[in-house]
Amino acid sequence: MSGTRPVDLRPVFYPRRVAVFGVTDTPDRVGYNVLESILHGGFTGKVYPIHPRHEQVLGCKVYKSLEDLPEPVDLAVICLNQDATVEAVEKCGRAGVRGVICNAGGYRETGEVGRDLEKRLIAAAEKYRLPMIGPNTLGMINNDGNFYSTFYPLKIPAGKVSIISQSGGIGLTTIHLAVDEGIGINKFIGVGNCSNLGFTDCLDYLENDDSTAVIGVFIEGSADAGRFVRAAGRVARKKPVVVYKAGRLAEADRYTQTHTGSSAGSFQLYQDILHQYGVFTVNNVSELVAACKALALQPLPEGNRVGILTHTAGPSVVMIDHLAPAGCVIPPLHEKTISRVKQIIGSDNPPVVLKNPLDAAGLGFSRPTYGGLAEAMLADDNVDLLLAVYCLHKTWELPAIELINAHKKYEKPLIVNFVGNWQGCRADQDFMQNAGVPLYTAPEKTAVAAAALVHYGMLRKGGADRDS
Amino acid sequence: MTVNEIVDRAIASGRNLLFEDEAGALLMAAGIPVNSCRVASGEDEAVRIAKETGFPVVLKVRSQAITHKTDAGCVRLGLKDEEAVHLAYRGIMEKARLIDPGAQVTVQPMASPGLELLVGMTTDPQFGQVVAFGLGGTLVELFNDVTFRQVPLLEKDATDMINSIKGSALLKGYRGRPPVDINALTGIILQVSRLVEKEPRIKEIDLNPVFAYPQGMLAVDSRVVVNQNL
Repeated sequence: MSGTRPVDLRPVFYPRRVAVFGVTDTPDRVGYNVLESILHGGFTGKVYPIHPRHEQVLGCKVYKSLEDLPEPVDLAVICLNQDATVEAVEKCGRAGVRGVICNAGGYRETGEVGRDLEKRLIAAAEKYRLPMIGPNTLGMINNDGNFYSTFYPLKIPAGKVSIISQSGGIGLTTIHLAVDEGIGINKFIGVGNCSNLGFTDCLDYLENDDSTAVIGVFIEGSADAGRFVRAAGRVARKKPVVVYKAGRLAEADRYTQTHTGSSAGSFQLYQDILHQYGVFTVNNVSELVAACKALALQPLPEGNRVGILTHTAGPSVVMIDHLAPAGCVIPPLHEKTISRVKQIIGSDNPPVVLKNPLDAAGLGFSRPTYGGLAEAMLADDNVDLLLAVYCLHKTWELPAIELINAHKKYEKPLIVNFVGNWQGCRADQDFMQNAGVPLYTAPEKTAVAAAALVHYGMLRKGGADRDS
Repeated sequence: MTVNEIVDRAIASGRNLLFEDEAGALLMAAGIPVNSCRVASGEDEAVRIAKETGFPVVLKVRSQAITHKTDAGCVRLGLKDEEAVHLAYRGIMEKARLIDPGAQVTVQPMASPGLELLVGMTTDPQFGQVVAFGLGGTLVELFNDVTFRQVPLLEKDATDMINSIKGSALLKGYRGRPPVDINALTGIILQVSRLVEKEPRIKEIDLNPVFAYPQGMLAVDSRVVVNQNL
């Protein structure tokens, strides 16, 4: 967002009175859905639907125009077509509204005519120093204030992770995957065309937003990529930022131009420069959610030495494949740990190879044994964080309590990988994650979660060596 | 001449691509080790410079109109004696004068070969000035093993670049070869960053190849593009 004086974005994210332009009485229109979203989401402030020809929608009185509202509003969600949106923004600016969300597409992503129209839209917002989310956006959610304005009505668990997404579809994918993974979303910002509020503004806001602990970003391309990477780097030193950059191929570039009107830019430049500024990057939505989950739940490790406890070798091999390139090391176990492990498994219990990864094989099925081994590894000074693999079984219960107790006792990061289907692990996932221990069902996700924790653990230790 | 003066002069004479001798002077002024490159105003002077420089030498055309020197048949490598320089000079000028009557020739020593690296800088429309480092010479085309960082670079960024390319093992002494001079390499990467930070009219630098030796480095081919508009 251009301009010299910083604009207060709190009324945008924490509005108390909201107007919705373009509320019709049929659920096939965006305006109806935004109103439903606000009501369904449990908004406790005032909401004023606006439409010239309707009296009542979803039990709310509909007003003819902005002027007819009984009181000024903080935020207007504009669900009109691309031309009428420009006029509405102008009206909002004149009326002293403090923020707008513009859903409509049909701007620069469509070509010359749209580009000119978008310039007028931007000019209207800038004239009144009116912060604008969009256009071409799914909308915004603030779960910290029960404010849902996406035109897909949702109600999702609240938590500490905030998401900035250029795409509505990937935004929704991220939200739904987060629900599946059992993590709560704090804020969701669909930045769309980034015409006024862009990635950098949103990062700046979330940096100082106390209810946000971790920021996940999905970016296709940004006109101010240079500012974005620096802002991401600055914020990442304060709270973890995880970036998923799409548009790997030149072919994708042509598509992003007609999607959000931004060139995807060189994928490698994004990767290299985000790395330069200490920002953790991922390769897909699943990794984005997995990394954000661990960062939201676990403390950061003191170092990069990863212990792996398992009773089946394969998952540890897959994990190491992912961990080693991410700068993690798999250290040897301390002698004291080895004697402790020997004690736990007993001398007449042979085929356990006493090294890291510790494969307890058949002995690992026993919950007390597994819990004891987890404690032994967490107690090891050579181990900064522990990954624990256990397979779902019809009869044996997962060692959830043992692992939670071990984590509490040693206060080192612990990530649990249960080999099982989502339904079979669902209750354990909730149980463990309520106790702060993240649970995954795929070794690739467990590994990226560990890599993210190690990355930010090392960044914190490295200190702030960059001013920008 | 200072870096700024060299850039001023090129822009004043309407050139965006510096002559190689100018690029060399500019890089030298910035503390970057670069192969010597001297302009010969005639055939006899070319021979005299070659004798001073020491054989073998390289002759290249120096002309604003001829940017792809090799394609135009205007580069002669490995000239071993005075006679070879005479012949090369005539051969280059014969071709070059057809395109540019004001063409001149530069004389450079043949550098002793080393591991071929690339250090460069490009101005990206989104990220601005970006430093590139990777394996150079023909290896660039083969492996595209290049990494980028945004200006300004810290020392740890240069170190990280050196460690992060796939061919990093080659730099550290592969199969009994001695390791290359990592300090000198770090220095070149940082000098390029400092140079373009101080002189933002430099839009592009291409040092390829840089010959990497166990002691020291030498930029053998250099290309510098400047532009007035900021």
